[in-house]
Amino acid sequence: MSAIEFSVSPEQTGISFSAKEQAAEWFALLRSGDATDADRSQWEAWLAACEEHRNAWAYVQRVSNRFAPIQTSPDPRTTVGILQTAQGRLARRRRILLGLAAFGGTGLLSWATWRHTLLPARAWVADHHTGVGETRQISLTDGTRVWLGSASAFNEDFRPDLRRLHLVAGDIFIETAPDATRPFVVDTPHGRLRALGTRFDVRLEGRQTAVSVYEGAVEVRTAGSEATTVIRAGEQTRFDQQAIGETAAADPSREGWTQGILIAQDMPLSLLAAELARYRHGHLGVAPEVADLRVYGSFPLDSSDRALVMLASVLPIQVRQPLPWWSTIEARSGSAGKAASR
Amino acid sequence: MSDSDYPLTSTVESLYCDHHDWLQSWLRRRLGNAADAADLAHDAFIRLIVTPRRFDSRPEARSYLRTMANGLCVDLWRRRQIEEAWLEALAAQPEAFAPSSEHQCIVLQALQEIDTLLRSLSAKAARAFVLAVGCEMTDKEVAAELGVSARMVRKYVAQAMLRCMEMEELREEPPLRHVGD
Repeated sequence: MSAIEFSVSPEQTGISFSAKEQAAEWFALLRSGDATDADRSQWEAWLAACEEHRNAWAYVQRVSNRFAPIQTSPDPRTTVGILQTAQGRLARRRRILLGLAAFGGTGLLSWATWRHTLLPARAWVADHHTGVGETRQISLTDGTRVWLGSASAFNEDFRPDLRRLHLVAGDIFIETAPDATRPFVVDTPHGRLRALGTRFDVRLEGRQTAVSVYEGAVEVRTAGSEATTVIRAGEQTRFDQQAIGETAAADPSREGWTQGILIAQDMPLSLLAAELARYRHGHLGVAPEVADLRVYGSFPLDSSDRALVMLASVLPIQVRQPLPWWSTIEARSGSAGKAASR
Repeated sequence: MSDSDYPLTSTVESLYCDHHDWLQSWLRRRLGNAADAADLAHDAFIRLIVTPRRFDSRPEARSYLRTMANGLCVDLWRRRQIEEAWLEALAAQPEAFAPSSEHQCIVLQALQEIDTLLRSLSAKAARAFVLAVGCEMTDKEVAAELGVSARMVRKYVAQAMLRCMEMEELREEPPLRHVGD
Protein backbone atom coordinates (compact mmCIF):
# COMPACT_ATOMS: atom_id res chain seq x y z
CA MET A 1 0.00 0.00 0.00
CA SER A 2 1.17 3.53 -0.74
CA ALA A 3 2.85 5.49 2.03
CA ILE A 4 0.85 8.59 1.27
CA GLU A 5 -2.73 8.40 2.44
CA PHE A 6 -5.32 10.81 1.17
CA SER A 7 -8.46 11.41 3.03
CA VAL A 8 -11.13 10.45 0.54
CA SER A 9 -14.51 8.84 0.76
CA PRO A 10 -14.40 5.35 2.27
CA GLU A 11 -15.06 3.35 -0.86
CA GLN A 12 -12.03 4.86 -2.51
CA THR A 13 -9.56 4.20 0.28
CA GLY A 14 -9.56 0.50 -0.38
CA ILE A 15 -10.22 -1.96 2.37
CA SER A 16 -7.37 -3.86 3.94
CA PHE A 17 -7.01 -7.50 3.06
CA SER A 18 -7.38 -8.50 6.69
CA ALA A 19 -10.71 -6.66 7.03
CA LYS A 20 -11.99 -8.47 3.96
CA GLU A 21 -10.69 -11.74 5.29
CA GLN A 22 -12.49 -11.21 8.59
CA ALA A 23 -15.69 -10.27 6.79
CA ALA A 24 -15.49 -13.46 4.71
CA GLU A 25 -14.88 -15.53 7.86
CA TRP A 26 -17.88 -13.95 9.56
CA PHE A 27 -20.03 -14.66 6.55
CA ALA A 28 -18.92 -18.30 6.48
CA LEU A 29 -19.73 -18.70 10.17
CA LEU A 30 -23.05 -16.85 10.21
CA ARG A 31 -24.52 -18.81 7.32
CA SER A 32 -23.05 -22.19 8.29
CA GLY A 33 -26.09 -23.29 10.28
CA ASP A 34 -23.94 -23.56 13.41
CA ALA A 35 -23.82 -19.90 14.45
CA THR A 36 -24.86 -19.18 18.06
CA ASP A 37 -26.39 -16.02 19.52
CA ALA A 38 -23.00 -15.27 21.01
CA ASP A 39 -21.46 -15.46 17.51
CA ARG A 40 -24.04 -13.05 16.19
CA SER A 41 -23.48 -10.48 18.91
CA GLN A 42 -19.73 -10.74 18.41
CA TRP A 43 -20.25 -10.12 14.73
CA GLU A 44 -22.35 -7.04 15.54
CA ALA A 45 -19.57 -5.76 17.74
CA TRP A 46 -17.06 -6.36 14.94
CA LEU A 47 -19.29 -4.48 12.53
CA ALA A 48 -19.75 -1.59 14.93
CA ALA A 49 -16.02 -1.35 15.59
CA CYS A 50 -15.02 0.65 12.52
CA GLU A 51 -15.95 1.98 9.11
CA GLU A 52 -13.55 -0.36 7.36
CA HIS A 53 -15.37 -3.40 8.73
CA ARG A 54 -18.67 -2.02 7.52
CA ASN A 55 -17.23 -1.34 4.08
CA ALA A 56 -15.83 -4.85 3.91
CA TRP A 57 -19.23 -6.21 4.93
CA ALA A 58 -20.86 -4.20 2.14
CA TYR A 59 -18.83 -6.28 -0.30
CA VAL A 60 -20.00 -9.48 1.38
CA GLN A 61 -23.56 -8.32 0.86
CA ARG A 62 -22.88 -7.40 -2.71
CA VAL A 63 -21.53 -10.86 -3.45
CA SER A 64 -24.37 -12.64 -1.69
CA ASN A 65 -26.93 -10.43 -3.44
CA ARG A 66 -25.71 -11.85 -6.71
CA PHE A 67 -27.15 -15.18 -5.61
CA ALA A 68 -30.62 -13.77 -4.90
CA PRO A 69 -32.09 -14.71 -8.32
CA ILE A 70 -30.94 -18.28 -7.73
CA GLN A 71 -32.17 -18.45 -4.16
CA THR A 72 -35.60 -17.24 -5.21
CA SER A 73 -35.90 -19.46 -8.29
CA PRO A 74 -38.42 -22.31 -7.85
CA ASP A 75 -35.70 -24.96 -7.78
CA PRO A 76 -32.29 -23.60 -6.75
CA ARG A 77 -30.69 -27.03 -7.01
CA THR A 78 -31.51 -27.36 -10.70
CA THR A 79 -30.48 -23.77 -11.31
CA VAL A 80 -27.12 -24.33 -9.65
CA GLY A 81 -26.80 -27.53 -11.64
CA ILE A 82 -26.66 -25.45 -14.83
CA LEU A 83 -23.49 -23.80 -13.63
CA GLN A 84 -21.99 -27.18 -12.84
CA THR A 85 -22.93 -28.59 -16.23
CA ALA A 86 -21.36 -25.65 -18.05
CA GLN A 87 -18.23 -25.62 -15.89
CA GLY A 88 -17.81 -29.36 -16.31
CA ARG A 89 -17.94 -29.02 -20.08
CA LEU A 90 -15.51 -26.14 -20.03
CA ALA A 91 -13.08 -28.08 -17.86
CA ARG A 92 -13.24 -31.11 -20.13
CA ARG A 93 -12.66 -28.95 -23.17
CA ARG A 94 -9.74 -27.23 -21.46
CA ARG A 95 -8.08 -30.55 -20.66
CA ILE A 96 -8.24 -31.59 -24.27
CA LEU A 97 -6.88 -28.28 -25.46
CA LEU A 98 -4.01 -28.52 -22.99
CA GLY A 99 -3.25 -31.98 -24.25
CA LEU A 100 -3.26 -30.76 -27.80
CA ALA A 101 -1.12 -27.70 -27.19
CA ALA A 102 1.84 -30.00 -26.61
CA PHE A 103 1.56 -31.35 -30.12
CA GLY A 104 0.99 -28.16 -32.05
CA GLY A 105 3.27 -27.45 -34.93
CA THR A 106 4.19 -31.01 -35.79
CA GLY A 107 4.20 -31.92 -39.42
CA LEU A 108 1.41 -34.43 -39.09
CA LEU A 109 -1.07 -31.68 -38.41
CA SER A 110 -0.67 -30.35 -41.90
CA TRP A 111 -1.77 -33.56 -43.49
CA ALA A 112 -3.99 -33.08 -46.43
CA THR A 113 -7.50 -34.18 -45.67
CA TRP A 114 -9.49 -36.05 -48.14
CA ARG A 115 -13.15 -35.30 -47.94
CA HIS A 116 -16.02 -37.05 -49.52
CA THR A 117 -19.16 -38.58 -48.21
CA LEU A 118 -19.48 -42.20 -47.21
CA LEU A 119 -23.06 -41.86 -46.08
CA PRO A 120 -25.61 -43.95 -47.89
CA ALA A 121 -28.07 -41.96 -49.98
CA ARG A 122 -30.97 -42.66 -47.61
CA ALA A 123 -29.03 -40.99 -44.82
CA TRP A 124 -28.91 -37.69 -46.69
CA VAL A 125 -32.67 -37.54 -46.90
CA ALA A 126 -33.08 -38.36 -43.20
CA ASP A 127 -34.37 -35.64 -40.85
CA HIS A 128 -31.02 -35.31 -39.11
CA HIS A 129 -27.64 -36.36 -40.42
CA THR A 130 -23.93 -35.70 -40.04
CA GLY A 131 -20.98 -36.06 -42.39
CA VAL A 132 -17.77 -37.94 -41.71
CA GLY A 133 -15.87 -36.41 -38.81
CA GLU A 134 -18.85 -34.32 -37.78
CA THR A 135 -20.87 -34.69 -34.59
CA ARG A 136 -23.94 -32.74 -33.66
CA GLN A 137 -26.25 -32.27 -30.71
CA ILE A 138 -29.95 -31.87 -31.33
CA SER A 139 -32.75 -30.98 -28.93
CA LEU A 140 -36.04 -32.55 -29.91
CA THR A 141 -39.37 -30.85 -29.31
CA ASP A 142 -40.06 -32.85 -26.13
CA GLY A 143 -36.72 -31.80 -24.58
CA THR A 144 -34.95 -35.07 -25.41
CA ARG A 145 -31.34 -34.53 -26.42
CA VAL A 146 -29.74 -36.54 -29.18
CA TRP A 147 -26.07 -36.55 -30.13
CA LEU A 148 -25.33 -37.67 -33.65
CA GLY A 149 -21.99 -39.34 -34.19
CA SER A 150 -19.85 -39.17 -37.31
CA ALA A 151 -21.64 -40.22 -40.52
CA SER A 152 -24.93 -40.85 -38.76
CA ALA A 153 -28.56 -40.20 -39.55
CA PHE A 154 -31.98 -40.67 -38.01
CA ASN A 155 -35.61 -39.83 -38.66
CA GLU A 156 -37.87 -38.31 -36.07
CA ASP A 157 -41.45 -39.51 -35.86
CA PHE A 158 -43.31 -37.98 -32.93
CA ARG A 159 -46.98 -38.83 -32.58
CA PRO A 160 -49.53 -38.04 -29.88
CA ASP A 161 -49.04 -41.46 -28.30
CA LEU A 162 -45.45 -42.34 -29.21
CA ARG A 163 -42.04 -40.74 -29.61
CA ARG A 164 -40.15 -42.75 -32.21
CA LEU A 165 -36.70 -42.32 -33.71
CA HIS A 166 -35.54 -44.38 -36.62
CA LEU A 167 -31.78 -44.86 -36.77
CA VAL A 168 -30.72 -44.99 -40.42
CA ALA A 169 -26.94 -44.94 -40.12
CA GLY A 170 -24.17 -44.65 -37.55
CA ASP A 171 -24.47 -43.81 -33.92
CA ILE A 172 -26.82 -41.80 -31.70
CA PHE A 173 -26.63 -41.06 -28.00
CA ILE A 174 -29.96 -40.24 -26.40
CA GLU A 175 -30.92 -38.51 -23.21
CA THR A 176 -34.66 -38.82 -23.02
CA ALA A 177 -36.94 -36.21 -21.49
CA PRO A 178 -39.58 -37.69 -19.21
CA ASP A 179 -43.07 -38.02 -20.67
CA ALA A 180 -45.40 -40.41 -18.90
CA THR A 181 -47.95 -40.42 -21.70
CA ARG A 182 -45.69 -41.04 -24.69
CA PRO A 183 -43.21 -43.91 -24.67
CA PHE A 184 -39.85 -43.31 -26.33
CA VAL A 185 -38.58 -45.91 -28.82
CA VAL A 186 -35.70 -46.22 -31.26
CA ASP A 187 -36.13 -48.48 -34.27
CA THR A 188 -33.20 -50.00 -36.14
CA PRO A 189 -33.28 -52.57 -38.94
CA HIS A 190 -32.72 -55.21 -36.25
CA GLY A 191 -35.37 -54.36 -33.74
CA ARG A 192 -36.91 -51.86 -31.36
CA LEU A 193 -35.41 -50.27 -28.25
CA ARG A 194 -37.79 -48.92 -25.68
CA ALA A 195 -36.36 -46.36 -23.26
CA LEU A 196 -37.33 -46.66 -19.63
CA GLY A 197 -36.23 -43.14 -18.54
CA THR A 198 -32.68 -43.01 -19.64
CA ARG A 199 -29.34 -42.17 -21.26
CA PHE A 200 -28.18 -44.66 -23.82
CA ASP A 201 -26.23 -45.10 -27.03
CA VAL A 202 -27.46 -46.94 -30.12
CA ARG A 203 -25.18 -47.84 -32.98
CA LEU A 204 -25.56 -49.68 -36.24
CA GLU A 205 -22.77 -52.17 -36.85
CA GLY A 206 -23.43 -53.98 -40.11
CA ARG A 207 -25.95 -56.71 -39.40
CA GLN A 208 -26.20 -55.86 -35.74
CA THR A 209 -27.27 -53.05 -33.49
CA ALA A 210 -25.20 -52.29 -30.39
CA VAL A 211 -26.79 -50.61 -27.38
CA SER A 212 -25.04 -49.25 -24.25
CA VAL A 213 -27.05 -47.94 -21.32
CA TYR A 214 -25.70 -45.34 -18.85
CA GLU A 215 -28.80 -44.41 -16.89
CA GLY A 216 -32.16 -46.06 -16.43
CA ALA A 217 -32.84 -49.08 -18.62
CA VAL A 218 -33.71 -50.02 -22.19
CA GLU A 219 -35.86 -52.87 -23.37
CA VAL A 220 -34.65 -54.59 -26.54
CA ARG A 221 -37.04 -56.43 -28.85
CA THR A 222 -35.71 -58.01 -32.03
CA ALA A 223 -37.52 -57.47 -35.31
CA GLY A 224 -37.56 -61.10 -36.45
CA SER A 225 -38.06 -63.23 -33.36
CA GLU A 226 -39.65 -60.91 -30.84
CA ALA A 227 -36.98 -61.93 -28.33
CA THR A 228 -36.80 -59.34 -25.56
CA THR A 229 -34.43 -58.42 -22.78
CA VAL A 230 -33.87 -55.43 -20.54
CA ILE A 231 -30.44 -53.75 -20.54
CA ARG A 232 -29.78 -51.78 -17.35
CA ALA A 233 -27.49 -48.86 -16.55
CA GLY A 234 -23.84 -49.83 -16.93
CA GLU A 235 -24.58 -52.64 -19.39
CA GLN A 236 -24.37 -53.10 -23.12
CA THR A 237 -25.33 -55.73 -25.67
CA ARG A 238 -25.65 -56.43 -29.39
CA PHE A 239 -28.55 -57.91 -31.26
CA ASP A 240 -29.55 -58.84 -34.79
CA GLN A 241 -32.98 -59.56 -36.21
CA GLN A 242 -33.14 -62.96 -34.52
CA ALA A 243 -31.18 -62.98 -31.30
CA ILE A 244 -29.86 -60.82 -28.50
CA GLY A 245 -26.25 -61.33 -27.45
CA GLU A 246 -24.85 -61.57 -23.96
CA THR A 247 -24.89 -58.56 -21.70
CA ALA A 248 -21.49 -57.03 -20.92
CA ALA A 249 -20.24 -54.01 -18.96
CA ALA A 250 -20.91 -50.77 -20.85
CA ASP A 251 -17.92 -49.26 -22.58
CA PRO A 252 -17.23 -45.70 -21.33
CA SER A 253 -16.10 -44.63 -24.79
CA ARG A 254 -19.67 -45.04 -26.01
CA GLU A 255 -20.62 -42.15 -23.75
CA GLY A 256 -17.54 -39.94 -24.11
CA TRP A 257 -17.94 -39.30 -27.81
CA THR A 258 -20.87 -36.99 -27.16
CA GLN A 259 -18.30 -34.61 -25.69
CA GLY A 260 -16.06 -35.06 -28.72
CA ILE A 261 -13.72 -37.34 -26.80
CA LEU A 262 -12.77 -40.92 -27.36
CA ILE A 263 -12.02 -42.44 -23.97
CA ALA A 264 -9.72 -45.44 -24.09
CA GLN A 265 -9.33 -47.62 -21.03
CA ASP A 266 -7.11 -50.55 -21.76
CA MET A 267 -8.33 -50.48 -25.35
CA PRO A 268 -6.41 -52.40 -28.02
CA LEU A 269 -4.86 -50.04 -30.56
CA SER A 270 -6.68 -51.83 -33.38
CA LEU A 271 -10.05 -51.07 -31.78
CA LEU A 272 -9.13 -47.46 -31.13
CA ALA A 273 -8.01 -47.07 -34.74
CA ALA A 274 -11.29 -48.56 -35.95
CA GLU A 275 -13.11 -46.01 -33.82
CA LEU A 276 -11.02 -43.12 -35.15
CA ALA A 277 -11.52 -44.39 -38.68
CA ARG A 278 -15.23 -43.66 -38.37
CA TYR A 279 -14.31 -40.01 -37.93
CA ARG A 280 -11.99 -39.67 -40.91
CA HIS A 281 -12.09 -40.20 -44.62
CA GLY A 282 -10.05 -42.83 -46.31
CA HIS A 283 -8.26 -45.85 -44.92
CA LEU A 284 -6.67 -46.15 -41.50
CA GLY A 285 -4.83 -49.43 -41.07
CA VAL A 286 -2.93 -50.92 -38.14
CA ALA A 287 0.11 -53.15 -38.59
CA PRO A 288 -0.33 -56.51 -36.79
CA GLU A 289 2.75 -56.09 -34.60
CA VAL A 290 1.22 -53.06 -32.84
CA ALA A 291 -2.47 -53.98 -33.09
CA ASP A 292 -2.62 -55.30 -29.53
CA LEU A 293 -0.86 -52.42 -27.78
CA ARG A 294 -3.09 -51.22 -24.94
CA VAL A 295 -4.14 -47.60 -24.98
CA TYR A 296 -5.22 -45.38 -22.09
CA GLY A 297 -6.28 -41.79 -22.45
CA SER A 298 -8.67 -39.32 -24.00
CA PHE A 299 -8.45 -38.44 -27.65
CA PRO A 300 -10.19 -35.72 -29.62
CA LEU A 301 -12.65 -37.04 -32.18
CA ASP A 302 -13.06 -33.75 -33.99
CA SER A 303 -9.50 -34.03 -35.19
CA SER A 304 -8.43 -37.62 -35.75
CA ASP A 305 -5.10 -36.35 -37.12
CA ARG A 306 -4.34 -34.85 -33.73
CA ALA A 307 -5.49 -38.00 -32.01
CA LEU A 308 -2.92 -39.91 -34.08
CA VAL A 309 -0.20 -37.46 -33.14
CA MET A 310 -1.09 -37.92 -29.49
CA LEU A 311 -0.99 -41.70 -29.90
CA ALA A 312 2.42 -41.55 -31.53
CA SER A 313 3.71 -39.57 -28.57
CA VAL A 314 2.69 -42.17 -25.98
CA LEU A 315 3.14 -45.43 -27.88
CA PRO A 316 6.15 -46.80 -29.79
CA ILE A 317 4.36 -46.24 -33.08
CA GLN A 318 4.53 -44.03 -36.12
CA VAL A 319 1.90 -43.09 -38.63
CA ARG A 320 2.77 -43.44 -42.27
CA GLN A 321 0.71 -41.75 -44.90
CA PRO A 322 1.87 -42.69 -48.39
CA LEU A 323 -1.26 -41.15 -49.92
CA PRO A 324 -3.54 -38.46 -48.56
CA TRP A 325 -6.36 -40.90 -47.87
CA TRP A 326 -4.28 -43.85 -46.82
CA SER A 327 -2.74 -43.97 -43.34
CA THR A 328 -1.08 -46.85 -41.57
CA ILE A 329 -0.11 -47.13 -37.93
CA GLU A 330 3.03 -49.19 -37.55
CA ALA A 331 5.87 -49.83 -35.12
CA ARG A 332 8.29 -46.94 -34.84
CA SER A 333 11.47 -47.71 -36.76
CA GLY A 334 13.83 -49.68 -34.58
CA SER A 335 11.29 -50.41 -31.86
CA ALA A 336 9.27 -53.16 -33.50
CA GLY A 337 10.57 -55.86 -31.19
CA LYS A 338 9.95 -53.78 -28.08
CA ALA A 339 6.47 -52.88 -29.17
CA ALA A 340 5.50 -56.45 -29.80
CA SER A 341 6.74 -57.57 -26.40
CA ARG A 342 4.72 -55.03 -24.41
CA MET B 1 5.79 3.38 -41.17
CA SER B 2 8.61 1.82 -39.17
CA ASP B 3 8.01 0.73 -35.61
CA SER B 4 10.26 3.42 -34.13
CA ASP B 5 8.02 6.07 -35.66
CA TYR B 6 5.06 4.78 -33.73
CA PRO B 7 3.49 7.83 -32.10
CA LEU B 8 3.95 7.69 -28.37
CA THR B 9 0.89 9.81 -28.00
CA SER B 10 -1.31 7.37 -29.85
CA THR B 11 -4.90 8.05 -28.97
CA VAL B 12 -7.68 5.53 -28.92
CA GLU B 13 -8.76 7.08 -32.20
CA SER B 14 -5.48 6.44 -33.93
CA LEU B 15 -5.27 2.97 -32.41
CA TYR B 16 -8.73 2.33 -33.74
CA CYS B 17 -7.77 3.42 -37.25
CA ASP B 18 -4.58 1.39 -37.19
CA HIS B 19 -5.83 -1.83 -35.70
CA HIS B 20 -9.59 -2.15 -35.75
CA ASP B 21 -9.89 -3.91 -39.09
CA TRP B 22 -7.01 -6.20 -38.30
CA LEU B 23 -8.44 -7.08 -34.90
CA GLN B 24 -11.87 -7.71 -36.30
CA SER B 25 -10.59 -10.07 -38.96
CA TRP B 26 -8.38 -11.82 -36.38
CA LEU B 27 -11.47 -12.33 -34.23
CA ARG B 28 -13.52 -13.48 -37.18
CA ARG B 29 -10.98 -16.17 -37.95
CA ARG B 30 -10.98 -17.25 -34.35
CA LEU B 31 -14.74 -17.21 -33.77
CA GLY B 32 -15.88 -18.06 -37.29
CA ASN B 33 -18.64 -15.48 -36.93
CA ALA B 34 -18.58 -11.93 -38.25
CA ALA B 35 -21.21 -10.51 -35.90
CA ASP B 36 -19.48 -11.78 -32.75
CA ALA B 37 -16.15 -10.58 -34.11
CA ALA B 38 -17.53 -7.08 -34.66
CA ASP B 39 -18.99 -7.02 -31.14
CA LEU B 40 -15.80 -8.16 -29.46
CA ALA B 41 -13.60 -5.80 -31.49
CA HIS B 42 -15.91 -3.03 -30.34
CA ASP B 43 -15.64 -4.20 -26.70
CA ALA B 44 -11.86 -4.28 -26.93
CA PHE B 45 -11.71 -0.62 -27.97
CA ILE B 46 -14.26 0.34 -25.33
CA ARG B 47 -11.89 -1.15 -22.78
CA LEU B 48 -9.07 0.93 -24.19
CA ILE B 49 -11.20 4.03 -23.72
CA VAL B 50 -12.00 3.07 -20.12
CA THR B 51 -8.39 2.25 -19.26
CA PRO B 52 -6.16 4.07 -21.77
CA ARG B 53 -2.75 2.63 -22.54
CA ARG B 54 0.22 3.78 -24.45
CA PHE B 55 2.20 1.59 -26.80
CA ASP B 56 5.74 2.06 -28.02
CA SER B 57 5.33 0.16 -31.22
CA ARG B 58 2.75 -1.28 -33.54
CA PRO B 59 3.64 -4.91 -32.62
CA GLU B 60 3.27 -4.05 -28.96
CA ALA B 61 -0.17 -2.59 -29.54
CA ARG B 62 -1.22 -5.59 -31.58
CA SER B 63 0.09 -8.08 -29.07
CA TYR B 64 -1.80 -6.27 -26.29
CA LEU B 65 -4.99 -6.14 -28.34
CA ARG B 66 -4.66 -9.78 -29.26
CA THR B 67 -4.27 -10.80 -25.62
CA MET B 68 -7.25 -8.71 -24.64
CA ALA B 69 -9.36 -10.03 -27.51
CA ASN B 70 -8.39 -13.54 -26.57
CA GLY B 71 -9.69 -12.95 -23.05
CA LEU B 72 -12.90 -11.56 -24.51
CA CYS B 73 -13.30 -14.69 -26.65
CA VAL B 74 -12.92 -16.88 -23.60
CA ASP B 75 -15.50 -14.78 -21.73
CA LEU B 76 -17.90 -15.00 -24.62
CA TRP B 77 -17.39 -18.71 -24.84
CA ARG B 78 -18.04 -19.21 -21.13
CA ARG B 79 -21.19 -17.11 -21.28
CA ARG B 80 -22.38 -19.15 -24.25
CA GLN B 81 -21.68 -22.43 -22.47
CA ILE B 82 -23.77 -21.32 -19.52
CA GLU B 83 -26.50 -20.06 -21.79
CA GLU B 84 -26.53 -23.36 -23.61
CA ALA B 85 -26.74 -25.40 -20.40
CA TRP B 86 -29.44 -23.03 -19.21
CA LEU B 87 -31.50 -23.45 -22.36
CA GLU B 88 -31.19 -27.21 -22.11
CA ALA B 89 -32.31 -27.18 -18.49
CA LEU B 90 -35.16 -24.84 -19.37
CA ALA B 91 -36.33 -27.13 -22.14
CA ALA B 92 -36.11 -30.19 -19.91
CA GLN B 93 -37.80 -28.75 -16.82
CA PRO B 94 -39.52 -25.44 -17.44
CA GLU B 95 -41.31 -25.72 -14.09
CA ALA B 96 -37.99 -25.66 -12.24
CA PHE B 97 -37.36 -22.09 -13.33
CA ALA B 98 -38.72 -18.67 -12.69
CA PRO B 99 -42.28 -18.01 -13.82
CA SER B 100 -41.69 -15.24 -16.36
CA SER B 101 -39.16 -15.02 -19.14
CA GLU B 102 -37.91 -11.80 -17.61
CA HIS B 103 -37.09 -13.61 -14.37
CA GLN B 104 -35.48 -16.38 -16.35
CA CYS B 105 -33.14 -13.88 -17.98
CA ILE B 106 -32.23 -12.51 -14.57
CA VAL B 107 -31.35 -16.04 -13.46
CA LEU B 108 -29.19 -16.58 -16.54
CA GLN B 109 -27.41 -13.28 -16.01
CA ALA B 110 -26.84 -14.11 -12.34
CA LEU B 111 -25.33 -17.46 -13.29
CA GLN B 112 -22.98 -15.81 -15.78
CA GLU B 113 -21.86 -13.23 -13.24
CA ILE B 114 -21.32 -15.86 -10.57
CA ASP B 115 -19.28 -17.88 -13.02
CA THR B 116 -17.06 -14.86 -13.62
CA LEU B 117 -16.53 -14.39 -9.90
CA LEU B 118 -15.76 -18.05 -9.24
CA ARG B 119 -13.55 -18.67 -12.22
CA SER B 120 -10.23 -18.71 -10.43
CA LEU B 121 -11.39 -20.98 -7.59
CA SER B 122 -10.88 -24.72 -7.37
CA ALA B 123 -13.85 -26.74 -8.61
CA LYS B 124 -14.60 -28.05 -5.11
CA ALA B 125 -14.48 -24.66 -3.44
CA ALA B 126 -16.69 -23.17 -6.15
CA ARG B 127 -19.19 -25.99 -5.85
CA ALA B 128 -19.29 -25.76 -2.06
CA PHE B 129 -19.84 -22.01 -2.25
CA VAL B 130 -22.61 -22.22 -4.83
CA LEU B 131 -24.47 -24.93 -2.92
CA ALA B 132 -24.05 -23.12 0.40
CA VAL B 133 -25.07 -19.68 -0.81
CA GLY B 134 -27.21 -20.38 -3.89
CA CYS B 135 -29.16 -23.26 -2.37
CA GLU B 136 -28.86 -21.94 1.20
CA MET B 137 -27.66 -25.29 2.46
CA THR B 138 -25.95 -25.66 5.85
CA ASP B 139 -22.29 -26.64 6.05
CA LYS B 140 -23.31 -30.14 7.15
CA GLU B 141 -25.58 -30.58 4.13
CA VAL B 142 -22.91 -29.35 1.73
CA ALA B 143 -20.35 -31.56 3.44
CA ALA B 144 -22.55 -34.62 2.97
CA GLU B 145 -23.06 -33.76 -0.68
CA LEU B 146 -19.39 -33.20 -1.47
CA GLY B 147 -17.95 -35.89 0.76
CA VAL B 148 -15.77 -33.49 2.75
CA SER B 149 -15.89 -32.33 6.38
CA ALA B 150 -18.13 -29.46 7.51
CA ARG B 151 -14.95 -27.69 8.62
CA MET B 152 -13.67 -27.87 5.07
CA VAL B 153 -16.93 -26.45 3.75
CA ARG B 154 -16.60 -23.48 6.11
CA LYS B 155 -13.09 -22.92 4.80
CA TYR B 156 -14.21 -23.17 1.17
CA VAL B 157 -17.03 -20.69 1.75
CA ALA B 158 -14.74 -18.16 3.45
CA GLN B 159 -12.13 -18.56 0.74
CA ALA B 160 -14.65 -18.20 -2.07
CA MET B 161 -16.30 -15.21 -0.46
CA LEU B 162 -12.96 -13.48 -0.09
CA ARG B 163 -12.10 -14.10 -3.72
CA CYS B 164 -15.50 -12.85 -4.86
CA MET B 165 -15.13 -9.71 -2.74
CA GLU B 166 -11.83 -8.99 -4.43
CA MET B 167 -13.36 -9.53 -7.84
CA GLU B 168 -16.21 -7.20 -6.91
CA GLU B 169 -13.74 -4.59 -5.80
CA LEU B 170 -12.10 -4.66 -9.22
CA ARG B 171 -15.35 -3.59 -10.78
CA GLU B 172 -15.99 0.10 -11.13
CA GLU B 173 -19.27 0.63 -9.31
CA PRO B 174 -19.00 1.71 -5.69
CA PRO B 175 -20.24 -0.93 -3.27
CA LEU B 176 -23.62 -0.78 -1.61
CA ARG B 177 -23.14 0.93 1.70
CA HIS B 178 -23.95 -1.09 4.74
CA VAL B 179 -27.20 0.10 6.23
CA GLY B 180 -26.83 0.04 9.98
CA ASP B 181 -29.69 -0.28 12.40
